[in-house]
Amino acid sequence: MDLILSIPTLYLRRILTNKMQKKMNEVLIKYPRNYLNILNQIFEIETKLRKISEPNSIQRNIDKLKNIFSTEALSEGQSLFYHNPIGENYNETRTDCDATITGSGHDNLRIVEVIKPIIYVKYGQSQMIVQKAIVIVESKQ
Amino acid sequence: MEKMINFGIDLGTTNSAIAKFVKGEVEVFKNPLETGKETLPSVVYYKKDKVVIGSRARTYFEKDAKNVFGTFKRKMGTTESFKVKNLDQSKTPVELSAEIIKELKGFVHSGEIVDSAVITIPASFDVIQSNATKEAGFLAGLKQVILLQEPIAASLAYANKHKEQDLRNGQWLVYDLGGGTFDVALIRIKDGEMKVLDHEGDNFLGGADFDNLILEEMIVPYLDENFTFNNLEDDLKSEKGKHNALYYKLLLKAEEAKISLSARTSAEIELSDIKDDNDEDIDVSIEITRSEFESLVKECVDKTIEMIKKILVHNSLKPSDIQFTLMVGGSTYIPYVRKRVEEILQIPVNCDIDPTTAIAIGAAYYAGTKEKNFEQELSKKSDGGIKVRFAYQKASQEDEEILAGKIEGNIDGLFYRIIREDKGFDSGIKKLTSRISEDIPLVKDSYNFFRFTIYDDKNNIIETDIELIGIAQGKYNVAGQPLPNDICLQRDSDIDLEGKSTILDRYFEKNTLLPQKRSKSHYLNKTIIKGSNEKIKINILEGPHSSLPEANSSIGYFEITGTQVTRDIVRGAEIEISLEMSESRDLKVIVYIPMSDQQFTKVFNPTQRHTTVENLIDEVDTLNETLESEIKEAVDREDYETAETLNNIKKKVDILINDSNQLTKDDVTDKKYQYEDIKRKIAQEVDNATKDKRISVLKNQYNEDKTWCKKIVDENGNDHDQKLFYEIVSREQAFLNSITPAKIMEAIDEMITLGSNVLWRTPSFLEARFNRLIEKPQLFNDQEQAKSLIESGKLAIANKNFDRLKEINWGLISLLPKNAQSDARTGKIGF
Repeated sequence: MDLILSIPTLYLRRILTNKMQKKMNEVLIKYPRNYLNILNQIFEIETKLRKISEPNSIQRNIDKLKNIFSTEALSEGQSLFYHNPIGENYNETRTDCDATITGSGHDNLRIVEVIKPIIYVKYGQSQMIVQKAIVIVESKQ
Repeated sequence: MEKMINFGIDLGTTNSAIAKFVKGEVEVFKNPLETGKETLPSVVYYKKDKVVIGSRARTYFEKDAKNVFGTFKRKMGTTESFKVKNLDQSKTPVELSAEIIKELKGFVHSGEIVDSAVITIPASFDVIQSNATKEAGFLAGLKQVILLQEPIAASLAYANKHKEQDLRNGQWLVYDLGGGTFDVALIRIKDGEMKVLDHEGDNFLGGADFDNLILEEMIVPYLDENFTFNNLEDDLKSEKGKHNALYYKLLLKAEEAKISLSARTSAEIELSDIKDDNDEDIDVSIEITRSEFESLVKECVDKTIEMIKKILVHNSLKPSDIQFTLMVGGSTYIPYVRKRVEEILQIPVNCDIDPTTAIAIGAAYYAGTKEKNFEQELSKKSDGGIKVRFAYQKASQEDEEILAGKIEGNIDGLFYRIIREDKGFDSGIKKLTSRISEDIPLVKDSYNFFRFTIYDDKNNIIETDIELIGIAQGKYNVAGQPLPNDICLQRDSDIDLEGKSTILDRYFEKNTLLPQKRSKSHYLNKTIIKGSNEKIKINILEGPHSSLPEANSSIGYFEITGTQVTRDIVRGAEIEISLEMSESRDLKVIVYIPMSDQQFTKVFNPTQRHTTVENLIDEVDTLNETLESEIKEAVDREDYETAETLNNIKKKVDILINDSNQLTKDDVTDKKYQYEDIKRKIAQEVDNATKDKRISVLKNQYNEDKTWCKKIVDENGNDHDQKLFYEIVSREQAFLNSITPAKIMEAIDEMITLGSNVLWRTPSFLEARFNRLIEKPQLFNDQEQAKSLIESGKLAIANKNFDRLKEINWGLISLLPKNAQSDARTGKIGF
């Protein structure tokens, strides 16, 4: 999958011509679509792991897998990682989650269940969401 | 300014889209806030201070029915209006549709103004409904609106995709099954003119019904049968039911299974993190096969087929009179829908166009043929003297920050919107006031960029000179300091690749902003017997990774001995080392040994140096050895100038050896730190004095390897090998002029790898290598195995089976002592 992403260039803006700037703003980020599926699976394993009370070192393997995606899977300077928004507040300004509201209220919403996490691709110091989280939210009241 | 209308809009009941005709092709614009999606859910949500459109509005649909509106297309042309509680006023279907069109205008990333468009309408729309759609377009700022029936649009998308087909005369069906609605139309084309002859539809039939069927007919009965629930169905569906959250989760799972079944013959629905009414955990997986799914949806699909039959009867047509059924709408991805429609009607189905965007595409093709017939304003975009000044924290540790803005100029009838560049936040469209204040959420440990855009009441962008708003969260704090030097782990090199020495493995690069964390795996080069005094030494150094380890300062050192491990850790075992450095430069070293499942952690405070006398003496000795061999080499090559510099350094080392040996092992004074510092400075001097030499030695070695590789590639390589060779050569300028020896070493490695790869495909080499390997059979570690391999090798040569011979050679090499292995692989020198 190819994505052309725009890198904000605060400081270059004034000194570049529009054409040059457009060229510089574009960075090609390539990653196999399956990477997102694998990350979703890692997320699910991590979620299930929280329920295992016996001591184990499975988390270490999970961290290692996540580490591969954030350091080695993409080309230099680019990384894929996910964020679990469980427990965070939800409102209509959040475009990083696809939410379904449960219960009767619709104010003061909080994320109570995460089916899929938010996946970001990071390049340099910027990042872009490549997968919205799929979440269930509920009113705190 | 373009003469043609070019823009096509599919104003759908559930989803909408916009496309543009550009030089013979159509581009469907992406939803800027939904990665990978080209559609916009046709839902509008009125908050007190703003309007939200699309999937976020859909989230509140049903839950906040007094403020969120969808499927209003069904009410177009009626006098019905929707009372909006938050605004205390009513909105007509036309006004709601206009909001959708305005939002779609924002999809056009080129920034050009959409001043006219072709908008599609269902075949069933009468004159009043059609006029209402036009009005919605005008309300959204369009100056010209041309309407086009949806089945015609779909047919145009098809006809333009298959220009080679003669479609001047004939008739076909357009079968449009979306998420919530179904339409079918009979199209006739006569002498190139398309017409909708008849149509049928159901406004409450679509893919969402299929999801519900999976839930109601499969998942709920399964849960009821295998677990304890008192009244599951009610508890799921009732807003106040205790399993209401589960209902939505299961619906999502059902939809996922449905999509998966379009590509596979069975799908798993995983049910976990659920408790039944006895508080028992549920963690099961239900399998649903494609045939089970098909029997579930059969009734719905048959209902659509009945409508088609009705059209055929009504128009006195036989299936053979119809050329094909053109499939449109997301639910026609389902193989069963296609199969069933074709089987029952005996009319071939046509799935050649993208079912979700076909209508917008067709509309754009049509728009490409329609001329604009209004006077275009040449300079619509002007900032009207609007000045915007913002105040905000440029760096923050908070999850959100306040953005305060002062706006000057004529702001009447203007709106604004703030969008985070990673697509994670959208303020919605709000009325512009002279002072604004907005809480904007920040992504942790990252640079957050926000774009502030001003719009007129038709959603046209008003150009201003507003810069991007950048806020650094967490580690990019301005106060956060960059690392002054590389942070490296000292380790023995991989002899095969990096030569026989200790190297610095860089964990954090100079100028990286703190805090940082990184893990790497390494392999032990010796066995640590449980209970022994063998040690794993972990030494973390600060300084350039390209220089000698002794030249850098140790910022963290510790040892793991055989007495600390719970089992023998064999040579080759993995060892994972993680370094964490805080903003205040506290260093945490975590060593994990998977073989014994043990973790050792040590935190080093930057105000303390961690130097043991033992380690200091060791390092001074190593430095002395390095220095002596450098002096000898310098004398041998008659480089007396360097030799003299090094001899002067040697005097300092001799003093240091003497001094450091005087220290007791448990010395508590500052002396060991002072000596450590002296050692470091001396090593730096050695490094400087010999760097040129190391580089020139490496340059020579590179040239030798290049000649060797070229010969092999010329004689035995293919085009691809040639290309690889010249690719390395093309980079020569960069690495040969570099001051970092490591870069030349990398290139040498690439040359050797390339040459070896070619050789290992060459029969004559493989044969010669085999003969060379068996010259000294006593060298092999396992004589039995070697004997058997040698026999097989001879047979392989006799049979000219060179692939096999290659494997045998590798087998034999693995039986050689380690130090002979790498030379044997490249075949460069004897062993």
